[in-house]
Amino acid sequence: MKDPFVLFWAVLILGSIAWYGFLVFYVGIKAGRDIRDLIRTLREQQAGNKKS
Amino acid sequence: MTLTALDWLIIISYLAGCMAAGIWMRRYVRGVEEFAVAGREMNVNLGIASLAATELGLVTIMYTAQLGFEKGLAGASIGVLMAAAFYLVGRTGFIIKPLRTAGVMTIPELFEQRFSVRVRWLAGLFVVLGGLLNMGIFLRLGGEFLVWSTGLPPHWLEWVMTILLGLVLLYTALGGMLSVLVTDYLQFLVMGVGIVVTSVLVLIHAGGFELVASLQAAWAGSAGMKLNSHPFNPFHGSSLGWGYLLWMLVLQVAAATTWQTVISRVLAAKDAGTAQRMYRRTSFYFVGRFLLPGLWGAAAFAYFAAQGGLPEGVSSLTAMPHYLGIILPVGFIGLVIAAMLAAEMSTDSGYLLTWATVIYNDLITPCLKNPLSPKGRLLLTRLLVLGIGVFLLFYGLWYELPGNAWDYLAVTGNIYLASVFTLLVAGLYWPRANARGAYAALIMGAIGPVTFLLIGKKFSIPPEVAGFSAFALAALGMILGSLSAPAQTARPAAL
Repeated sequence: MKDPFVLFWAVLILGSIAWYGFLVFYVGIKAGRDIRDLIRTLREQQAGNKKS
Repeated sequence: MTLTALDWLIIISYLAGCMAAGIWMRRYVRGVEEFAVAGREMNVNLGIASLAATELGLVTIMYTAQLGFEKGLAGASIGVLMAAAFYLVGRTGFIIKPLRTAGVMTIPELFEQRFSVRVRWLAGLFVVLGGLLNMGIFLRLGGEFLVWSTGLPPHWLEWVMTILLGLVLLYTALGGMLSVLVTDYLQFLVMGVGIVVTSVLVLIHAGGFELVASLQAAWAGSAGMKLNSHPFNPFHGSSLGWGYLLWMLVLQVAAATTWQTVISRVLAAKDAGTAQRMYRRTSFYFVGRFLLPGLWGAAAFAYFAAQGGLPEGVSSLTAMPHYLGIILPVGFIGLVIAAMLAAEMSTDSGYLLTWATVIYNDLITPCLKNPLSPKGRLLLTRLLVLGIGVFLLFYGLWYELPGNAWDYLAVTGNIYLASVFTLLVAGLYWPRANARGAYAALIMGAIGPVTFLLIGKKFSIPPEVAGFSAFALAALGMILGSLSAPAQTARPAAL
């Protein structure tokens, strides 16, 4: 374990697992809202087209 | 490993939810703009989910695990370089900012604005050829994972992947980018959970300190199998080495700014700032994209080394799924299979849509004397998605590739990246660049790697030399070609 490269990869592995967990939680919530906004925008555009 | 009723319930629930969401989005598609770039209404977090899901396929997991099996954790250095490339491009806006501002639907479309319609067509041909040949291997490698990790009979591979592709084709052809974005989101969630769970289970099974000791013993030659590459130091002479790593950095910058499936997310973003934020926030994800499956591959190596060697019929490519099939507890295998199906489906859908859009936008449209009606354009793009699906089935699944075709695939990818990257850089940042230079760059970028393929084996030319040469020849073609044209015909940088 004295090899600095071993420590480097160990930190990156734990960091990656934590980052993936965070992304699923944080981006999962935020991107869900993005989809809701996207659908709302598309609905408004469709409604606007029907009126015109 | 046999799938239990719980495993099947998880897998079928995922597939049903995904299909329902994908088909439901069809109602919002009114024209090609919604179909190809989601009406350019994509926000940053949805962009992160979509980019992450598309660029991590089952094929990615297979080859990164193989790198881990053959080169230890040092093989994941490419992921660190990929993350650096995405962060740098996101920070500076290099290429992606002017590209998004130009309002184009594909990269070759920019070349018509900057050079000529013929340059657009030729570049479109390069993009499509490189992209389709690259994608041709996805289904087979994805099928290999599913067969080896679940213990399904090997002759089921073709049928399982045909059904999977059929499901992807259904929602992609109906809903285009809108369906791809929504299904990418669901697939991002399932895939993320599956990768985290698998990584934790592998660490528990292999043990952190024990895994390090096993790899060091294998490197020293005192284990059941010999590791011929330093497992932790990528700069070591036996590992990737400086030259290869430098080449990978150049390649990753080119891929981050030129690979059309990545760029399609840039072009679907609300504006250039959204695209840059998406790149910066997704960058560290690419470390895990190489490192976590690489960890599974390294753990598979340690496991089979302790057993005295690989079982008969298992290769460095199939060792990881075979290992996961052994260690994953009942109930988890269903989640992991659903995650891997998500990885495969999100990548396939994104790639199908991207290459169909380029064929429609850059190869067919410039040749039409009278433009198609909006309904005709939409129908044509949908038919192209289905056509690419049929091509994939016959090229990548039912047709056994001869060995040297794989070398050919690597070279075609390099032709596309080297030549199109050169055109983008010169077109956006060098006012003197012109159509003659663009033709020369496309042709020189193609001639270089093909020549190296033909004489490379005879003279043992390393891949980094062949790779750098493709970029150098394309750049040389652009400079000499542009300077050979009269200065007054050269346009100023368009953007």
